[in-house]
Amino acid sequence: MKIAGNDILIQSLINEGVEYIFGYPGGAALHIYDSIFNQKEMQHILVRHEQGATHAADGYARATGKPGVVLVTSGPGATNAITGIATAFMDSIPMVVISGQVQSHLIGTDAFQETDMIGVSRPIVKHSFTVDKQENIAQIVKEAFHIATSGRQGPVVIDVPKDLTNPDELFDFNYPEKANIRSYNPPVKPENHQVSRAVDAILTAERPVIYAGGGTISSNASCELRELNELLDFPVTNTLMGLGVYPGTGKRFLGMLGMHGTYQANMAMHNADLIIAVGARFDDRITNTPEKFAPKAKVIHFDVDHSSVSKIIEADIAVFGQVKDSLKAINNYLRSRKDEINREKISPWHQQIREWKEKYGLNHELYKNDSDEHPILPQAAVQHIYQESEGKAFVTSDVGQHQMFAAQYYHFDEPRKWINSGGLGTMGFGLPSAMGVKLAYPEEEVICITGEGSIQMCIQELSTCSQYKLPIKIFNINNLALGMVKQWQDMNYDGRHSSISYEDSLPDFVGLAESYGHVGIKITKNSELKEGIAKALAIKDKLVFVDIYVDPNEHVYPMLVAPNGSLKDMWLGKGEKT
Amino acid sequence: MIQRKLTLVMENKPGALARVVGLFHQRGYNIDSLHVDPIEDFEPFRFIEDELGIKFQVGEVSRLTIRTTVGDKLMRQILRQINKLIEVIAVSDDESTYLKGVLRNENLL
Ligand SMILES: Cc1ncc(C[n+]2csc(CCOP(=O)(O)OP(=O)(O)O)c2C)c(N)n1
Ligand SMILES: [Mg+2]
Repeated sequence: MKIAGNDILIQSLINEGVEYIFGYPGGAALHIYDSIFNQKEMQHILVRHEQGATHAADGYARATGKPGVVLVTSGPGATNAITGIATAFMDSIPMVVISGQVQSHLIGTDAFQETDMIGVSRPIVKHSFTVDKQENIAQIVKEAFHIATSGRQGPVVIDVPKDLTNPDELFDFNYPEKANIRSYNPPVKPENHQVSRAVDAILTAERPVIYAGGGTISSNASCELRELNELLDFPVTNTLMGLGVYPGTGKRFLGMLGMHGTYQANMAMHNADLIIAVGARFDDRITNTPEKFAPKAKVIHFDVDHSSVSKIIEADIAVFGQVKDSLKAINNYLRSRKDEINREKISPWHQQIREWKEKYGLNHELYKNDSDEHPILPQAAVQHIYQESEGKAFVTSDVGQHQMFAAQYYHFDEPRKWINSGGLGTMGFGLPSAMGVKLAYPEEEVICITGEGSIQMCIQELSTCSQYKLPIKIFNINNLALGMVKQWQDMNYDGRHSSISYEDSLPDFVGLAESYGHVGIKITKNSELKEGIAKALAIKDKLVFVDIYVDPNEHVYPMLVAPNGSLKDMWLGKGEKT
Repeated sequence: MIQRKLTLVMENKPGALARVVGLFHQRGYNIDSLHVDPIEDFEPFRFIEDELGIKFQVGEVSRLTIRTTVGDKLMRQILRQINKLIEVIAVSDDESTYLKGVLRNENLL
């Protein structure tokens, strides 16, 4: 059977098993939209801004592990998608973005709505394709999905000139079974000598720490990581991107590390004699000053990406390959040397960590104080959300203090439940990404913990939630300001609060939510907090926007001392340093 | 810091060269000189064909030579970043080569 380019494109997506495509139409994409109209296998979700489409696809991908798919038109449609593509790129999230382009013969003429999407997106994609002829569409889609989902995952752009989706020109359609890209070969299995060297180091360590990041989640290696820990009983810390890969309530969990990591996690890293980095990339929010990072530690680095290893911190032992395969190999080899595992040897280390935790660990019981004499603490709000949702929800977040409080006080026992923009730190990510998660898991609780600054960056998506009936629960940690910026101004600029407040011009969020057909709840007092949150979660069929007024003067601690600090240099409270 | 030479064999596709040049700019490396030609004489590259089990056709692949002045650690990082570009089949500096993603400890190009 012969079909047209637009149908080849859509049939190819269906062949890839795509359930949802997030997008927004426009001239250059109209033939493609006509194909979408004529099929039933895949649902198109019409967002209100292309940034929303990319974040929604991204949230879907993070929660499911499957690639998110986006369709936008040329020019402004394509450029509006850029922030979301960059967000996915920084966190290595698999995504395929299809952008319409002006007709082939107009390319380069500054035609209406022409933007060089391949050029604009080049530094923030894993790869990109320009469709050159209809006969190649199926192969390009196959390769795009293969590249997006293999090796170190990431977003791939396919730019499609409008004439190549013309419904009047027909071609043979056979969807290829395999993508054969002769120049591309992501590493899979680790080499034996790397594995045995890693195990030698593991068996002699006295102060080891497992430091696991987002790569462990992308590689679906949570089970293998937990197995490793059962064998070794080592302390585990997770990056912001790795939360949930080891249980947040697990016995050996140190909490998150880095900029706003726990005291015990940062101290353990600083004093370790062995750091086992698993799918983590020693980002500057983790290392603080690289020259002062973990001075006594040997580093084993597991990663699928050669360029991540020894980029910032020199690895003593590198294990290249899919983290899942590498951990499996380590676990097997460790089992064969089981009698060499000496748990006694690390018990003083566990004792030391317990002492650190008791001394300056986070207080997880702030929620118990419900007196109205003081304003609501944002930490307590998150703790209540954690309690009332029984720690089982998917939680998306935005960027700022609320995000750090969510990471510190909501304990994730499973991977893929904590959905946040770690690498790019994109305000506006929370609501649209929650839409993607909710579409993927309609029966699960999906919560967005946001701030009154961030939520306004993609607030238009409240309309999308109403159209597709997505009963997300939004908790707006409202401190009347760009809190994280304000905290930096307090700490580094003598409290000169330049351009961080809009107190008198905030919308009435309850009324705003209601105007879209949602439910709004406002909470201003501690005594209303538990009940208000429970009430919101009890409403199953509607989106609920809970506007929680919190103490506008709260800071996030611990916080690494910078510049020139090490991981042991932390602010522990206002004016209080280690 | 000394000047070093990088040699690449890559697919001759539209936009491929821009990815290499863009990568240098994006990561803050400097290009001292750059030379690119489609490969016409495949004799020196037969080992790549054998390795990949393919035969190159005329006009399909290009050879790039880039000179850049950097230290050792950065050189390794550049090599690894270039290796990640999907259209790069092989890249080498004086000491090592990535051939289809796999590292060899010699300059094969
Ligand atoms: C798109 C974007 N612009 C600017 C920033 C810089 N930034 C980081 S946190 C923050 C404040 C966020 O305010 P809010 O959402 O209210 O969160 P809060 O810190 O108050 O909890 C800003 C402006 C950013 N991360 N993303
Ligand atoms: Mg705020």
